[in-house]
Amino acid sequence: MPASGGESLKPSAFIPVCTAVCLLVGSTSMFFVFTCPWLAVTICPAIPPCCAVLFLFVLANFTMATFMDAGILPVAGEDEDKEDEFRAPLYKNVDVKGIQVRMKWCASCHFYRPPRCSHCSVCDRCVEDFDHHCPWVNNCIGRRNYRYFFLFLLSLTVHMIVVFTFGLIYVLHHMEDLWKLHCLVTLVVISISGLFLIPVLGLTGFHLYLVSRGRTTNEQVTGKFQGGLNPFTRGCCSNMEHLICSPISPNYTSRSYKKAVIHVRPPFLRPEIDGQMPMKIRDNGIQSLAIQDKQSSAGSVELSDIKQLKHPPPLPPKPDRGLLKSQVAAMDDVGHHTKSIIPVSIPTVPQLRPVLEAISRGSSPIPPEQLLKASEQQGNNKGPDLCSNPRESPARGNHQASVPVQAPLLPSTVSSSLQLNSLTLSSRSLNLKHSSRYASNCAAGSITTSSMLANQSSSSGNGKPSFDNLISPADPQFVAQRGAPAVSYHSHLMAHGAEGAMQRPSPHSYSPVFMGVTRQSPQPRDSTSRDPSPSLPGFLQRDSSPAYHGLLTRDLQSQSIATRDVPPPGLLMRDMTSLGFQDNLRDLYPQDMTLPMSAAARYDNFSKTIMASIQERREQEERAGKFHVNARSQALYGPDVGIYDIPSRRSLPPDNIRPAGSRGPTPPAYGSREFLMSTGILGYGMRTSPLSSSSTSSLTRGPKTSSSPLQSSSSSLQSKGRSSSPAYGPPERHNQGPPTSTSTLPRLTSTTYPTPPYTSYATAKRSSLPFSSEGKESFPLGVLK
Amino acid sequence: MLHNLKDIQHTASLVTKVFIQRDYSEGTVCRFQTKFPTELNNKIERALLEQTVKTLNLYYMEAEKVGGQSYLEGCLACATAYIVFFCMETRYEKVLKKISGYIQEQNEKIYAPRGLLLTDPIERGMRVLEISIFEDQGSSGSSPSSGMSSCSTAR
Repeated sequence: MPASGGESLKPSAFIPVCTAVCLLVGSTSMFFVFTCPWLAVTICPAIPPCCAVLFLFVLANFTMATFMDAGILPVAGEDEDKEDEFRAPLYKNVDVKGIQVRMKWCASCHFYRPPRCSHCSVCDRCVEDFDHHCPWVNNCIGRRNYRYFFLFLLSLTVHMIVVFTFGLIYVLHHMEDLWKLHCLVTLVVISISGLFLIPVLGLTGFHLYLVSRGRTTNEQVTGKFQGGLNPFTRGCCSNMEHLICSPISPNYTSRSYKKAVIHVRPPFLRPEIDGQMPMKIRDNGIQSLAIQDKQSSAGSVELSDIKQLKHPPPLPPKPDRGLLKSQVAAMDDVGHHTKSIIPVSIPTVPQLRPVLEAISRGSSPIPPEQLLKASEQQGNNKGPDLCSNPRESPARGNHQASVPVQAPLLPSTVSSSLQLNSLTLSSRSLNLKHSSRYASNCAAGSITTSSMLANQSSSSGNGKPSFDNLISPADPQFVAQRGAPAVSYHSHLMAHGAEGAMQRPSPHSYSPVFMGVTRQSPQPRDSTSRDPSPSLPGFLQRDSSPAYHGLLTRDLQSQSIATRDVPPPGLLMRDMTSLGFQDNLRDLYPQDMTLPMSAAARYDNFSKTIMASIQERREQEERAGKFHVNARSQALYGPDVGIYDIPSRRSLPPDNIRPAGSRGPTPPAYGSREFLMSTGILGYGMRTSPLSSSSTSSLTRGPKTSSSPLQSSSSSLQSKGRSSSPAYGPPERHNQGPPTSTSTLPRLTSTTYPTPPYTSYATAKRSSLPFSSEGKESFPLGVLK
Repeated sequence: MLHNLKDIQHTASLVTKVFIQRDYSEGTVCRFQTKFPTELNNKIERALLEQTVKTLNLYYMEAEKVGGQSYLEGCLACATAYIVFFCMETRYEKVLKKISGYIQEQNEKIYAPRGLLLTDPIERGMRVLEISIFEDQGSSGSSPSSGMSSCSTAR
């Protein structure tokens, strides 16, 4: 009996069940009493025991179907229903195995009904996997008791057939004694069984059909899956197996919960955001404070002078911290002459950022925090090295100087950063006084550095506005002096044995500036191929296949850039001396002001990281064919343009907020192209594209399936519009961690293109990706049925 | 007992509840979304919550697995006319008890120190994983009963 309110216990509700019980028990009892003895004697003595067992089975299933909770969902508390019901949407779509299923808001139970759940008007409760409300058992048939209902129907059918058959045999053998009691009773029994056999047989056949199709009565009657796209079916045999053998789900309503008292007492722990880095920076601050104490007088003078520096021209918005980190990492890579293949495919910057860091570190599966810690340590290690090798390799040292840069890239407190910046400036200016040569050499770069620093601080809103003031001194000499270490960082450090603390402060702003400077400095000398701007158009303006060519050419350029990145500081210094400080200022500022140029600096950084992946992609192009590459690049190219706008936005979440799970943080994946591709596009593209391409053959369900899967998935990445994709993402990416690169790219390209579903289905079958093929195979089963 | 506590103690009061919804992408099997709710950004590390949810998902997957044990249970139940259900608990129920113990442990070790409390999804019909957020309401005087918040009581 259903667990419903008292008012629903109407007497009329019990009439069908009582009738059914009476008929069943009564008829069978009479059969056993009047017919079975003769059968046992005449035909076989085993007949009555077998019939008894069968009848027992019928009764057991009937009892379970009648008294077992169908899977009634408890009414949601008020806490769940936060939205005003007038404003809450009536339906919520959820993606089940690639098919959009609607979840309706239940006004009585105050939640969105899970898929296959329906509200029973008789029981006035929502029932999981609701089939129907059976009046003969006066109970809802749902998830928990459907198997008993089904077995009851089966066993009842068999029982009725048996009773009818044996009763008929008895009557036929007693035709002459038809009006005797035994015969009369048997006649009544076989007439009842015969009469009710027809509807029961029909119902049994109907439910056999439902089970084979994986539908409920409710779904069949309402015509939900008439198109044949039932995401809940597992195939005929599997459905039957699940029906009979799956574990019984628990009762939700009448459970005895143990009273577990847990004391929630403040003070509460809070997660450390960038826990390591603030500590480091505080250490820096402490050391810097010590330095400041020593040089306070001079430092204060420097600070005031710095404050007077004119405001730098409006620079492009500060690149994101992660971008800076990646740039620094790339610089570090270049500085160390590492040409590691950095697989960057489609940069969605938030996703690429930590990967770029890891990749530039040599594709080690190290989380960004550890990377930064490592860089921190490296920086500390390199401090004395720099001091010991003053003049060896300016560029190398410069790059090495960038290594410790990475550590403080993470956001620091305003005060600490300000302290660091100011102290760095003051200390560097002091050092500059002692090495005028370096100062003059590095002036231009320093200006850029400072301007970039200022811009970053101002645009980031990270609370370094006073850094602008610090940089604002109009005195070019001070600017030069101050800026010098930013570029030829190592030189000052080497010359003056700067501590690691000094190395740390401004590198986060240092790196992109350095990039810019790097690009710019050789221009007077190598004005042709080293101009970074072609790389940007190469990214933005190239077309489908040319995009890859453009990338390839950029690859070459970036290689040359990489090689030439080593000497740039030296070049820069020479440039500074040759052109003069003011000229350098003029040269640098406009370029700094130019958005594409600074962006190009970032993009060049991307190019560095991408070049190796481009090489790999070249190989894959030959394998997969230009056709697919073009298609893919076309699809990817679209989002790329938008993606490159992302770094300029301040809305990029910092790294620490990025859910690790959404990136599939399996260690082997960090440095791999597969991870990037799956993270960026493939993770969602794989999710939607194979299934969508298969569903397009029958019925397209989701809005994402109509457009290019990559674009839709990339847009979903950006917009996060799909409710199920975040949830689906992690398991999908976990599955995609191991697959080989060969399977990944061809799979994507084939699904990107509007191939016929059959082809894509075949592709899915070929794919090594477990889930996608799995989902695809199980899904078309329903389609093809 | 609270009267043993110091005079000044902090109180925690329920601020809001965050609901982690079910993940229906693989059908009606019990899975919860591993998406990190934004309301918990400053309350708990993502990895911890993700780990909890993933472990719960594994537990539910184990409970709902159709395999040898579930076959045996079904056959035994049929053979005994389902009388066996009165005598022994099913595997699902056993796993639910494990889940309950796991949630209790997680609450004690991880969530309660951070001012959070997990509610067993079974209490919500396995529709949501409810996380209650508590906030420190400052210190209170000698009020004995306001220092603690209990959870997971029977409904």
